Amino acid sequence: MPHETVAVIGGGPAGLAAAQAASDLGAPVVLIEQGDALGGTPIAESYASLTPHLESAETVLGRLVQRLEASPHTDILLGAQVTACTGDVGHFELQVEMGATSRTVSCGAVVLATGFQHFDPGRETQMYGYYEFPDVIALQDLEAMIKAGSIAKPSNGQAPRRLCFVQCVGSRDRQIGNEYCSKVCCGVASKEAIEVRLLLPECEVFIFYIDMRMYGYWESQIYWPAQERHHVQYVKGIISEVLPKGDQLLVRGEDTTMGRPMEILMDMVVLSVGMEPSPGTRAMAGVLGVEQNSYGFIAAAHPPLDTVSTSRPGIFAAGAALGPADLEDCASTGAAAAARAVSVIRSVPAAG
Amino acid sequence: MPVGGRKQPPAVREHESATVTSQISGRQWELPGMWNRMFESRVLHDYSSQGFAALAALPGGESLEWCYGCGKCVPVCPVDLVGEYGPRKLHRKVQTGVDLLADPDLWLCTTCGNCLRVCPKQVDMVQVAPAGREAAIGQGHVPAELQDVFEKTFRQGNCLGENPRRRHAWTKQAGVPVRVLASDPGPVDVLFYVEDYWSYHPRGQQAAQAFARILTALDVDFAILGPEEKTVGDSQRLAGERGLFEALMDDVAATLAKYDFRRIVTPDPQIGNALRREYPKHGHHYDVVHTTQLLAPLVERLTWRTSIDATVTFHDPCYLGRHNGEYDAPRRLLEAIPGVTLVEMGRCKQNGYCCGGGGGGMWLDGFTAEHTDERLSERRVREAADTGADILAVCCPYEVSRFEDAAKSTGHDHLQVLDIVELLDQAMGGGAGADA
Repeated sequence: MPHETVAVIGGGPAGLAAAQAASDLGAPVVLIEQGDALGGTPIAESYASLTPHLESAETVLGRLVQRLEASPHTDILLGAQVTACTGDVGHFELQVEMGATSRTVSCGAVVLATGFQHFDPGRETQMYGYYEFPDVIALQDLEAMIKAGSIAKPSNGQAPRRLCFVQCVGSRDRQIGNEYCSKVCCGVASKEAIEVRLLLPECEVFIFYIDMRMYGYWESQIYWPAQERHHVQYVKGIISEVLPKGDQLLVRGEDTTMGRPMEILMDMVVLSVGMEPSPGTRAMAGVLGVEQNSYGFIAAAHPPLDTVSTSRPGIFAAGAALGPADLEDCASTGAAAAARAVSVIRSVPAAG
Repeated sequence: MPVGGRKQPPAVREHESATVTSQISGRQWELPGMWNRMFESRVLHDYSSQGFAALAALPGGESLEWCYGCGKCVPVCPVDLVGEYGPRKLHRKVQTGVDLLADPDLWLCTTCGNCLRVCPKQVDMVQVAPAGREAAIGQGHVPAELQDVFEKTFRQGNCLGENPRRRHAWTKQAGVPVRVLASDPGPVDVLFYVEDYWSYHPRGQQAAQAFARILTALDVDFAILGPEEKTVGDSQRLAGERGLFEALMDDVAATLAKYDFRRIVTPDPQIGNALRREYPKHGHHYDVVHTTQLLAPLVERLTWRTSIDATVTFHDPCYLGRHNGEYDAPRRLLEAIPGVTLVEMGRCKQNGYCCGGGGGGMWLDGFTAEHTDERLSERRVREAADTGADILAVCCPYEVSRFEDAAKSTGHDHLQVLDIVELLDQAMGGGAGADA
């Protein structure tokens, strides 16, 4: 008899969706999360709100966690890391270390939902000065400020009067090695721009971009309101350097539609950092023996119509472990991976 | 690598003068610093949302900020074809610190509406330009030639500053009786609202006379207001004088209220637009048709005396076509005239090219000439001539004089410019034919 259990590795939005879907399909679920809490990056990195509807990250993810905790046959392991995986589809044995103790999780299929990490702006080649200038911050730093309800220049605690976002930091860049678009940063920056305007109505907000990539409904849900209702100024032309000027920052770039150089003073610069595979995604690819693409994300085995199969039968991937993903992608691939996991277990011959 | 405080911002150079040499003629021009900046890549500093905030505070001015820079408007902007213009460019100028209310660009838009037709974000220059102009006038920025027209309109009730008592002087040479309501105030079917150019301009008067003869031939019961008529002044509104437009509306509505008529016919698409779209906002409702719209359904009843053996091309007025959706009536009439071969210009109907007269452009020719390479009317006449047409047919009172001047200045004297009603009248044997 195959093991009925579905093991889900990673307790972020995709992992929660996968665990919930597997449970709803009647399968026993073991959710393995290396951190101390569920919710994934939105919670661990203090996101204020979720794109595109600006709902509180804590509220929305808290609701998902609560529902999962109340579901039957779900075992949630926190502070737990998978160190080995043996067996085959229907008969996997995962070694899980939890602090000093370790245990074996027997399962029929695995969903890998280990997510992404923010690109480290110290690695970018433009020298935006993330580590040099206190007032140059990244999207997640601003999220934390918005969550705390106070946006201030880290250098002196004053409210900024001019703040800009610089798009495509660490994305779409052959030199850095991330040739992909990170997909969410245009929307997230615009969402944060709206929040800055709401918290600091006197602060002018600019977004410098190469292309605005607002696919689908985000165009009218985020981009247009940011521009039309919240008066965020979008400027086509990317910033290529940041220089100190008094207690401000001089951002320089080319305004490509005007064909002219621009030099603009800002109080704060927010780097719209992209997505890279998380250390957990890289590590689990090795432990589970699934193929990664050249960027380190889990390679989907049969794209484009099978988004969740990996190179190893019985192991599926979901969410940003597969590549840049928004929350809608995470929820969709999480549920799809769970359905595939449950069905593959049920199709393993009983004698096998 | 040196980063942070060790890096110095680069110095910005601005030449105060320069000499430009033509590569074709070898001729040299001295350019002062201001013009030189067109050739030096001057650094932009003044990015701000404030210019948009100032525009958004004006009713109708908010949509310029909505531009996301796709650039669809620029290739279809008639002014860009003879210069540097288009809503996208205005958006970038305002975003980079230009005060639109004090900038010549504010006055170049003819409100032709071709940009709005293609704009995915519905940036509406037909609203933005008049709103900005109204505010600019309030700040004392208004081109002198336009101010002169505003004053003439205010004093005399017509843009030409003519004597109101001579409003119906044209009727004497019409060859048919034209009833004037002031002296004969009974009920009438069609009120012919003549407007300024057909009342006073010599070429317009010829068209008014032709139209009166056609109405008479068709047994249409019509009359004019005569000395009581005042301009509706929609172009003055679009040029920024909303106050003047509304004052005129009070007078016009009061005059119209005195008489019993079923519908209004007017040759002027601008005032048709105002009566249809602006007057109802103030509670004034009229049934209004354009001259071509009145005649097109009656075309079978027209009797032809002569054939006009000519190739004719037709220029769509912006305020009849794009703004009010009428493309067929003028063409039905032209195609009905014996001998006429109708050929279309490349830019026609929805994509019709503006003559330059709309939105106050009629009274800004001198000002516009300083900021464009060529008049829009000249550009249009060259397009018309390229079709091989003998006649450029029009149906807006602004256009006969504009295009006749342009035909001369571009060396296309052979191209006759005629209102559709003049062509109809000729073929019906009116005018010179009737005298003969």
